[in-house]
Amino acid sequence: MPKFDVAKDDLERLIGKSFTVEEWEDLFLYAKCELDDIWEENGKIYFKADAKDTNRPDLWSAEGIARQIKWALGMKKGLPKYQVEKSDIVVYVDEKLKDIRPYGVYAVVENVKLDEEAFKQLIQLQEKIALTFGRKRREVAIGTFDFDKLKPPFYYKAVEPEKIKFIPLNCEEEMTADEILEKHEKGQEYGHLIKGRPYYPLLVDSEGNVLSMPPVINSETHGKVTEKTRNIFIDITGWHLDKIMLALNVLVTALAERGGKIKSVKVVYKDFEIETPDLTPKEFEVELSYIKKLAGVGLSDEQIKELLERMFYEVELKDGKAKLKYPAFRDDIMHARDVLEDVLIAYGYNEIEPEEPKLAVQGKGDDFIEFENAVRELMIGFGLQEVMTFNLTNKEAQFTKMNIPEEEIVEIENPISLRWSALRKWLLPSLMEFLSLNTHEEYPQKIFEVGKATLIDETKETKTVSESKLAVAIAHPRVTFTEVKEILDSVMYHLGIKYELEETEHGSFIPGRVGKIIVKGKEIGIIGEIHPQVLENWGIEMPVAAFEIFLKPLYKPSS
Amino acid sequence: MELSYQEKLTLIKLKDLRRVKFEDLVKETELDQVAVMRAVLWLQSKGLAKLHEKQKKIVKLTETGKRYAEIGLPERRALKLLVERGKVVLDELREVLSDDELKPIVGILRKEGWATVRKEDKKLVLEVTEKGKKALILERPIDKVLKILAEKGEVEAKEIEGLISLNELKRRKIAEEELKTEREVEITEEGLKLAEKGLELKEEISILTPELIKSGKWRSVEFKRFNIKAPVKRIYPGKKQPYRAFLDKIRRKLIEMGFIEMTAESLIETQFWNFDALFQPQNHPARDWTDTYQLKYPKYGFLPEEELVERVKASHEHGWITGSRGWGYKWDPRMAMMLMPRAHGTALSARQLAKDIQIPGKYFAIQRVFRPDVLDRTHLIEFNQVEGFVIGEDLTFKHLLGILKRFATEVAGAKKVKFLPDYYPFTEPSVQMSAKHPELGWVEFGGAGVFREEMTKPLGIDVPVIAWGIGIDRLAMFKLGIDDIRYLFSYDLKWLREAKIIW
Repeated sequence: MPKFDVAKDDLERLIGKSFTVEEWEDLFLYAKCELDDIWEENGKIYFKADAKDTNRPDLWSAEGIARQIKWALGMKKGLPKYQVEKSDIVVYVDEKLKDIRPYGVYAVVENVKLDEEAFKQLIQLQEKIALTFGRKRREVAIGTFDFDKLKPPFYYKAVEPEKIKFIPLNCEEEMTADEILEKHEKGQEYGHLIKGRPYYPLLVDSEGNVLSMPPVINSETHGKVTEKTRNIFIDITGWHLDKIMLALNVLVTALAERGGKIKSVKVVYKDFEIETPDLTPKEFEVELSYIKKLAGVGLSDEQIKELLERMFYEVELKDGKAKLKYPAFRDDIMHARDVLEDVLIAYGYNEIEPEEPKLAVQGKGDDFIEFENAVRELMIGFGLQEVMTFNLTNKEAQFTKMNIPEEEIVEIENPISLRWSALRKWLLPSLMEFLSLNTHEEYPQKIFEVGKATLIDETKETKTVSESKLAVAIAHPRVTFTEVKEILDSVMYHLGIKYELEETEHGSFIPGRVGKIIVKGKEIGIIGEIHPQVLENWGIEMPVAAFEIFLKPLYKPSS
Repeated sequence: MELSYQEKLTLIKLKDLRRVKFEDLVKETELDQVAVMRAVLWLQSKGLAKLHEKQKKIVKLTETGKRYAEIGLPERRALKLLVERGKVVLDELREVLSDDELKPIVGILRKEGWATVRKEDKKLVLEVTEKGKKALILERPIDKVLKILAEKGEVEAKEIEGLISLNELKRRKIAEEELKTEREVEITEEGLKLAEKGLELKEEISILTPELIKSGKWRSVEFKRFNIKAPVKRIYPGKKQPYRAFLDKIRRKLIEMGFIEMTAESLIETQFWNFDALFQPQNHPARDWTDTYQLKYPKYGFLPEEELVERVKASHEHGWITGSRGWGYKWDPRMAMMLMPRAHGTALSARQLAKDIQIPGKYFAIQRVFRPDVLDRTHLIEFNQVEGFVIGEDLTFKHLLGILKRFATEVAGAKKVKFLPDYYPFTEPSVQMSAKHPELGWVEFGGAGVFREEMTKPLGIDVPVIAWGIGIDRLAMFKLGIDDIRYLFSYDLKWLREAKIIW
């Protein structure tokens, strides 16, 4: 889902080896990415990677991809090791943030060399994590700062909006919190996440300088990261500690891949303290037989171990089980299945010979659909053109334009367009729309559709039922009731169904030329000449005769 | 030389007439005009006759001109009144002139010198001159031309050009000119020789009637030779909608491949079956307001039996007995009850798995699904999805690839396939397949995965289930020869009439 750009040179510098563009296409697969696009810019080759796994943010940057490929190719194996040095930096978290944005985790990465590509990757990774993994900053918002410009300790505070005033990123003037929410581009985009709360979250240093107003915007004047920045302070806020800690782990280890030194920060909450980041490996255990059976490619225990080591696992084989340790920048192992997928990706999907399962089963089409198809064949025999129209429509088309009173039908709460805001309860309006779009085309026009009409039925699980219907419309200068009745009559004859027509009134049809279609005493449809008012509503200057019937009552299972 | 009845008859007439106006030839032969023309053209192509064509300019009266011929030109009518009364106020002329004619009349009378004009009491007064009185019996060129045209109907322009300028007639909208082709037919030397040798005229017929057959008269007639190469009008039969025909074909293929068809009672689905039963967490971005339709009416449906709901809930919250840690959040039954138009066919697979199914078994559905999108060249708001699953005790990942590959060869006619890791919330491992279509090149053609146990176990399934879906839209567009996806649901009758059949 997330797509991001990486430079070929940068990737190869991180891996320490060069590849051809064709080789890269396959290498991306190890990182669960698809190579979406390749282009050249300033003499450099760039790739657009399309990351498939929304639960693997560690793979959404050049550093992450390079790390995965180094391991997958066996250049390194087992758990990636990172040193975390304790620092004396402290962040105090205000308990008043409990219902606003309760958690923050922090780290410092020293000695980072941010050249142009590294800088781009850092910004891009933050953006992608906050957007996709962080649900548009709601669950994860990230700030990075030039640590050398700041004076610890830091305070993550809840502050009344009216007391907040600082120069936000990319601005020259001081703004109040509400001015930022109203006028600043990021304020407009993310302001809704804090707006209306009694306090806004604010990150300040010991001198009271505002670093950031999470999750909206950083300060322009205090700690802005540039390509010259060497020591980076990272601030991640959100609603769930485990989620923001994972994001922090992804970020610090990505920077460590470029030679950064990770230093931890003490975070002090009212009732507890934590030291972040925590890169302690996580543990999991799988049955080897489970992996072997479902993979189906004849793997040995040793092979599984070797493949898993190429996917960052430390593996201990014991009693038919694999005891696994996996790095703290991953959090996607919920089930043995997730481990199985890693085994198979390391093995290479395209190294596996596909094999069709041999199952003694017989195919069968649904009987009623067979019946619908037989009806369609019959209609084509009358020389009618089949059409396929949308179920989505609107009340105006279903009722107003058809000159009948409005009823309750299935309606969509959040339609993209009002034109597609309801599900049709009958098909003739769709056929009228079709005719209205073809008034320039040669007549006679004879069309039909076998399609669904969705009706309210309070007894059903979905409160609705979509019934199969046949609708026919004929338009030409001399069309009359008789012409469509001939078709209806022939349909009924060929299906072996006895029917009757009963005079009725219906706003869509000309009085005296409309009838209910009755089968076994039950009304199953309507037939008639379309009322000129309806024709006028649709902009059709040609007489139309039509009918519409439910197909279920005509269906007898074929023997 | 083989000659048709019409050709023979025409040639016989031409033998006496030698060179004749086409219209006269038609009268002579007593055939219809088209038949004679066809005969003449055939005779010409055989070197027996020659068609001379000459274009000439003719002049004929307009509707106004015809009226003037009947009631007199406006100035004539005015003059008559003037002579009778000697002197008139302009308005009096309304007795004989229409409004249109009144406006230019003063100018015409003055120019002709038939009347003097002055103002008296702010009114225009016209008085007839001597010249005017004499003019009553004098014929001007325009009067003469009007008479000629009225008598003959139309004349060649050069006949009247000496009398009057055509422009004047046109300006006064009395007459118009027209280009007309005059045709004459002349027999050639060769034609004459042939005709003089004598031609046997046997009656020629174009339509074999029941009478001819009954009476046996067909023996003594000759059948007119038809130009079988002549173009005919294209007629359009009743046909299947092309995209539906394409879907029908895929349906047949799947049944042939051993799949059982699944159907749904409604196009509307509860979020429970669309998402929750598929182990898609309730805070998943795909379930956001912007990515999932919600209903205004009816808003909520019912959940299935309680035990099933409890199992799904447990699976989401902590993994239940599936060996998973679950998503770790509080599952909300109210959200699961929300109704929506079905967003993917997998919802049907989940329903089917919860019902009685055959194990091993193969299932499929071609299902109409809905996504909140804007309708344009590349996006549909509702479309058809081809999805299903294969269930069996001993299924493995190899089989998953095998099934996908079979689809690629059977449905897309692909020779080569490529597999890529992919991600779906309800399958693990997951695969995307690209197939090399003979003409389209590499096309993303489908996806598959093994349903997660967190999904299958709560539905009561303990064996591997391979879920698959095939992406048919690009293939359908290629088959239908379209580059605008909206044509899959075409509202364009001309296009439907002209579409080639899909089989």
